[in-house]
Amino acid sequence: MKIILVDDEKKFINMLAKRLAMRGISADAVFSGDEAIKKITSTAYEVAVLDIKMPGISGLELRRKLSAINPDLKFIFVTGHGAANKVDKKIIEKDYYFSKPLDIEILIKRLNEITSSG
Amino acid sequence: MIKEIQSFMKSILPEFYNHKKNVHYNSFYTFTDYWYLWTMGIFILAVTALSPLCIQALIHYQLIQKSANSEAILSAERLTSNAKRSITFFMKERLDALIFTVNEMGYERLTDNDKLAETLKNLKLGFGGLSDLSLIDKDGSLVAYAGEFNLEGKNYKCQPWFLHSLKKKYFISEVFTGYRDVPHIIIAVKSIKPDKSIFILRATLDTERLMETLTSYKTNDYTEIFLINHNGVLQTPSINYGNILTQTNLETVNYSNNTAVSMTNFKGIPVILGHSFISTDMVETPFILMVQKIKASIMHPWLELYRQINWIIGISIILIVIVISFASTFMVNKLYRLEMAKAEAMLQMEQNQQLAAIGQLAAGVAHEINNPLAIINQTAGYLKDLYRFKDGPKDDVEISDNIDSILDAVDRCGTITQQLMGFVRQFDIKIKKIRLQKIVSDVLSFHKKEAEYRGIHVTVSIPDTIPDMETDSGKLQQILVNLINNAFQAVDEGCCLDIIGSQMDDKTIQLIIQDTGCGIPEESLTKIHKPFFSTKQDQMGTGLGLSITYGLVKKLGGNISVQSTEGEGTCFTITLPVKIQEGTLA
Repeated sequence: MKIILVDDEKKFINMLAKRLAMRGISADAVFSGDEAIKKITSTAYEVAVLDIKMPGISGLELRRKLSAINPDLKFIFVTGHGAANKVDKKIIEKDYYFSKPLDIEILIKRLNEITSSG
Repeated sequence: MIKEIQSFMKSILPEFYNHKKNVHYNSFYTFTDYWYLWTMGIFILAVTALSPLCIQALIHYQLIQKSANSEAILSAERLTSNAKRSITFFMKERLDALIFTVNEMGYERLTDNDKLAETLKNLKLGFGGLSDLSLIDKDGSLVAYAGEFNLEGKNYKCQPWFLHSLKKKYFISEVFTGYRDVPHIIIAVKSIKPDKSIFILRATLDTERLMETLTSYKTNDYTEIFLINHNGVLQTPSINYGNILTQTNLETVNYSNNTAVSMTNFKGIPVILGHSFISTDMVETPFILMVQKIKASIMHPWLELYRQINWIIGISIILIVIVISFASTFMVNKLYRLEMAKAEAMLQMEQNQQLAAIGQLAAGVAHEINNPLAIINQTAGYLKDLYRFKDGPKDDVEISDNIDSILDAVDRCGTITQQLMGFVRQFDIKIKKIRLQKIVSDVLSFHKKEAEYRGIHVTVSIPDTIPDMETDSGKLQQILVNLINNAFQAVDEGCCLDIIGSQMDDKTIQLIIQDTGCGIPEESLTKIHKPFFSTKQDQMGTGLGLSITYGLVKKLGGNISVQSTEGEGTCFTITLPVKIQEGTLA
């Protein structure tokens, strides 16, 4: 499973990537939407884990752009806000959604569900 | 009976009668002294409405007074004039009869006592009012006499009446006693004998007849008619002034042929006094006719009229004051209700604003805390992973426990931020049919052991007749958890916690959660719904429970209020709709 992690919180995303790697999941950590777009054009990811609130491109906008590049890409959202607003929720209703701080085991469980559901 | 009286009093008393200042609403009141407003309203309306009525009544009274006085004077004047005419006629008639007798009979015949007696008899028959006749010579000696007194040999030359009679052709005396020692009046006619010397024919007036004539004008007990002479000495008896020949204090006035009427006081009683000098065309008399009427007797019909008008005005004033009182009560009640509604709305608005503000704050705080928490979480997790997946001492329990402690602390912080997000989170709305009894029972089940351990008496009184509710069970559960948790924290051993449910109407259910715990200080009552406000001194509380509860109750379309007395207990009253309306949970 190849996944990409996008969050402006560098320490958080690096640590998450390392822990996933320890559990056999290959995760690239990038710190902005632009970096994610660049990365995705060169690498085939199965899942993108996105922070909703980021400087520059927001998580929701990034989802749209990444979907355009890779329509098969699955998304999981992570946010420190604890909840998405009503409009956001409509957009991400088919996606998974976690509040920070997140439990890595639950995240992995979701990743497995997504990738196995195809 | 007492209850009925209280109920009646409640229905007529203004709503603000029992107005008690509510610490929740105090700052939103525009008016505080409704009694002042009410009384001022009544006063201003009463002054405006009653002033013209009172002025009119005053003018009316003055008009009545004037009319009554004028009527009284006219009446007294009329009576005096009529009585004067009668007395004058009485005197003149007898004087004329005497003149006729002198002229007809001549001196010689008059000297004959028998003929004089015959003449007296005829005069008595013809006119009456004469008691005797005397013929007196120019030297005052009695020549002949007809009458009941024995006056033989009497000489009148020194008598005042005789001296006056010599000076005038005709003379009418005032009342005097004379030789007979009985008060009487004489009429004297001076004439000439054949030898050219003068003689006087004197007649004594029957004073009884004179008094009868006077009395005939006395129409009631309030009127008195009597005669006085020019010096104020009574010539006829008077009930008020005394017997005949008594000196009165009545002021004698200058002679006038006209009747005069004046208002004065007699022994403090207002009277109308009419007087008129009695004189015939041939001779003046010493008499003044006095008519005294008690003013009140004449005023009586006017006073009766005035009394009736007073009644009408009095009843009008009472009616006006009653109507004004009701109008003022109605207006101030309206104002009071508006004021109460306004204060309630303002408080609601203030609470909503505070909740909205803290919602925004919560979002920011949660975000700012959650990110570092996420880093701590992941870092601690990574450390743990290092020991788990790499070559570290996997069995080092101390390190593992410490990392677990960090992760637990992160979880606790995460819980707080999740609670904070309760202000803004758009929960999934799961409206379903629920039974209030079951929800309450479920929540209490968590506290069963604690209640037993601490000896807290928990009673639940929710009648089976309460219908199933259609609402968000999760939110309702959260509300109950928060309030029951608070109650458990507030009570000591042996205290009580009562949960009472009732149906207010078809659409509303009321739930009361009351404890006999430590209560909430009055100054804290307005703040308990504010986030981060806690009265728990041991820092056990986050200060979020009640503020979230307030928000949740609002979300379920209900209301929550609290009454508390420090040291006695706290009572939360929640009203909730039986069926939640669409859009309420937006």
